[in-house]
Amino acid sequence: MTTDDMLDRLSGPLSRRRRLAHALVLIAGLAGAAFVGLLWATEPELPTRTQVAFGALVTLGLCWAAYGGWTLTRRTPLFALDRVVAAWMALGATVLLLGATVAVVVTRDDPPILPVAAAAVLLGVAATNLAAVRSRRAALLRRRDALTGGRRG
Amino acid sequence: MSTELLIVRCQLGEPDALTDLVREWHPTVHGFVRRMVGPGAADDVAQEVWIAIFRGLPRLQDADRFAPWLFTIARRTVANRLRAEYARPEVELDLDRTDDDDAAERLTDRMAVEAGLGALPAREREVLVLAYLHDLPLATCAEICGVPVGTIKSRLSRARRLLREELIRREYPS
Repeated sequence: MTTDDMLDRLSGPLSRRRRLAHALVLIAGLAGAAFVGLLWATEPELPTRTQVAFGALVTLGLCWAAYGGWTLTRRTPLFALDRVVAAWMALGATVLLLGATVAVVVTRDDPPILPVAAAAVLLGVAATNLAAVRSRRAALLRRRDALTGGRRG
Repeated sequence: MSTELLIVRCQLGEPDALTDLVREWHPTVHGFVRRMVGPGAADDVAQEVWIAIFRGLPRLQDADRFAPWLFTIARRTVANRLRAEYARPEVELDLDRTDDDDAAERLTDRMAVEAGLGALPAREREVLVLAYLHDLPLATCAEICGVPVGTIKSRLSRARRLLREELIRREYPS
């Protein structure tokens, strides 16, 4: 097998677009499942068929998240820049989730605080993760510049 | 470009660097895998090795140790494929016999090693491939295989003797 043949076989892990697509699948699956779960948990006295539908939607979101997570951990890992982009995606998704949670909760007569707190915690985790991956990438950029004598941007 | 710079660029996710890494190391990876699992399964196993390398690259701390790290991953992937063969107990031979050692030493010829590799048990085969065909020091072989240097030496000794017997059996001139 030639090197070019192997590069063809490795086109998935070598493609940034595919790596980020899997990150998006993971984040969207989790955010979708969390939002539907929030609606389900805060809606009083739902008929059985509606509860089944909510359960199916949550399961669907979790399945997509599991697929994205499996792919990212077993087949197409995220490198430093991918992680920064994925961390921004996660931050955006958690901001949307927190906004949606607040919008849903304030319509209730007796607003539950737990869903808002959970969404806020997720937002905090996403922000912390973004800071960590940016820091890691900055360290790698400094190392690259040191090795090249600062010839690269 | 130094290996460390290439690794750092890969960890950053630069597409050209990842391609360069495969171009630079694919012959080594494929050569090791082919000698261990044979030509039939080599392509698939080599692909698995590369995926495992990509998976581990973001966590690789010491880029200067890239080669032993790569061989450790390749060896683990091969061992996973040859699970049954690695599970067999090691071949027991009388290691006190030294009368053949000089003759065995002559078998460091690469073509001779290549010719008889397939007949050796997996543990002895991997040591021969790493030490003779990839020119790795014994200490590095020990690190890759996760055993003490003394064990590598005894496996190498067994491997040479088994190889010699195999080549004599095939009437290969030793």
